[in-house]
Amino acid sequence: MTNPRTIIEIRDGKKVFGSFTALTDINLSIRQGEILTLLGPSGCGKTTLMRLIAGFETLTSGAISIDGSDCAGTPPERRPVNMVFQRYALFPHLDVFENVAFGLKVKGMPKAEVKERVSRMLQIVQLDNFANRYIDEISGGQSQRVALARALVNGPKVLLLDEPLAALDLKIRQHMLAEMKRIHTETGATFVYVTHDQDEAMILSDRVVLMEKGRIVQIDRPEDMYARPKSLFAAKFLGETNLFDATVSAVNGIGTTAVTPAGIRFIGAETADRQPSERITVSIRPESLSFQDGEAATQSAEGTVEDVVFIGSRSFYTVRLDDQSPVRIQVQRNGRLALPSIGDRTRVYWDSANVVMLPHS
Amino acid sequence: MSLSRTRTGALLATPTILYMLVFFVVPSLILFAYSFWSSASYRIVPDFQFENYLGSLASPVFWKVTFNAIRIGLFTAAMTLILSIPVGYYLVYVSRSQTMLYLILITWFSSYLVRIYAWRTLLGTNGVLNTLLLQLGVIDHPVSAFLFSPFAVTITLVHIYLPFCILLVVSSLSEIKRDLVDAARDLGTSSIGAFFKVIAPNAANGLVGAFMLTFILVAGDYVTPQMLGGSSGQTTGLLIADQFRKTGNWPLGAAQAFLMFGVSIILYVVITALGRATGLIVKRRAKTEREI
Repeated sequence: MTNPRTIIEIRDGKKVFGSFTALTDINLSIRQGEILTLLGPSGCGKTTLMRLIAGFETLTSGAISIDGSDCAGTPPERRPVNMVFQRYALFPHLDVFENVAFGLKVKGMPKAEVKERVSRMLQIVQLDNFANRYIDEISGGQSQRVALARALVNGPKVLLLDEPLAALDLKIRQHMLAEMKRIHTETGATFVYVTHDQDEAMILSDRVVLMEKGRIVQIDRPEDMYARPKSLFAAKFLGETNLFDATVSAVNGIGTTAVTPAGIRFIGAETADRQPSERITVSIRPESLSFQDGEAATQSAEGTVEDVVFIGSRSFYTVRLDDQSPVRIQVQRNGRLALPSIGDRTRVYWDSANVVMLPHS
Repeated sequence: MSLSRTRTGALLATPTILYMLVFFVVPSLILFAYSFWSSASYRIVPDFQFENYLGSLASPVFWKVTFNAIRIGLFTAAMTLILSIPVGYYLVYVSRSQTMLYLILITWFSSYLVRIYAWRTLLGTNGVLNTLLLQLGVIDHPVSAFLFSPFAVTITLVHIYLPFCILLVVSSLSEIKRDLVDAARDLGTSSIGAFFKVIAPNAANGLVGAFMLTFILVAGDYVTPQMLGGSSGQTTGLLIADQFRKTGNWPLGAAQAFLMFGVSIILYVVITALGRATGLIVKRRAKTEREI
């Protein structure tokens, strides 16, 4: 996919409710055919952003264009987007078929064509045998699929999904994630997906838009956002990490060196924009720490093993370093390697490629 | 000690059941017995005859006032419901303000009689309406027909029962999530279309209920017709009240009360059947029924 077309463009978007600024400085281009996730804690403005695209809210300032045309003043019913609501919002007085047919009938499509398109869509979501069931006669996962079908049957340029899996239990949720990917491939629609669940975001998305307090803090592919968070918030929100306050001691051509008050030295590969004596926060993921001095693991610190949690193929160690900071280490089980036990003195190693230096908060 | 669901239910319902038994069911049965008795010169004679019923059914006056009561009831209930729906829609989906609802209900804090007299003042020959129309030159002498007319009765009853009906409409709309309106609009309907395609069918049972309850209260109201209806505005409620208060013919009053009760039930059945036939009321199996 080289140079994909932009389907939705938001420029300098700002939304104010009374004295509360829900969104500010929103600049976002959504590409045709991608799954874009709006990720953030509750209250970060992700749902408001989605409702702005759908047309249920209007921007206080800034502009949204869908497929090249500005949609200020266009009500939801005349926007080429459709939404899957958090609690599905299926119509209880209609059966599954009629729910899915609703949008097409409103548009005045001939009956035969409605029947054909609804039937095809019900096949895609694997509900062809449930067409005559009422909404209170189907399960949560099935309701979810009806909601998807009801939106997708209209052939929206963008499908908006508002925490669609939040109401489902874990097992069905994982199944529906896979379903969602399959349906995305099969229909080729652009998905904008709102969630507060980092796992959903990472599994599903082509790109993640991370939001905090009404602002976009980072837009990246999920693997890049995980490996290279640009802020402390991003590092903490996606996955687990170990954080150290440190001061930059040297910046040179090969990297940046930072030292904690207790003297633990971190050498990071990045050199950009760091000044000597600048205060920073160092982030290292638990899986990037190890008890072995590998080829590249050139840095280390000493400590005492405080706790071990065994989870099948992996173990989580808590080691209290000599400066009293606890670190979490994730170790893959491997019969050949001797691992320390609780109370053992040990050395923890890491590699400069996995040292992420973040602005101090 | 744990009680079964049925026993807990029975226990919780007992005070209400006792109350209804003592203060409603038993008096109603006594009244029902009365309706077969007879009355001679202000004395009630225990008897068993159908004259009270048959006489009433054969009496043109009874049918005239009953049709009047039904007409006022249906018209008032329809007007009240039509006025309540936009207000309910606004309260549930737009403002979501409890304060506004309380402000609407505040008229109920003033006495029923005070409100009736207020309308007499407004509609009387020296009233606000006549004065205004005279000033504007629409009429050249005061119109006495405003007061003591079905018009006066209806306008007053609409005013009195509007907050009650709004409360019922609000509670039936509250069960329909705003999401459904959003979903309908997302799928291409205007906001008015969303009301008719989604809210109305789902709220139909509640709205018909609001209509029927308002109708029953209005059709049975005998104070407003008495004070504002004049001789042409007599209703069954007033006729029945007079049997008890003025003529002292309790058996006849009782029989007519049960006839009116029957008429209300017939109307309810007819209206519900009409709703079903037109598809306005969707009959669906209750969820709990299938879960058991």
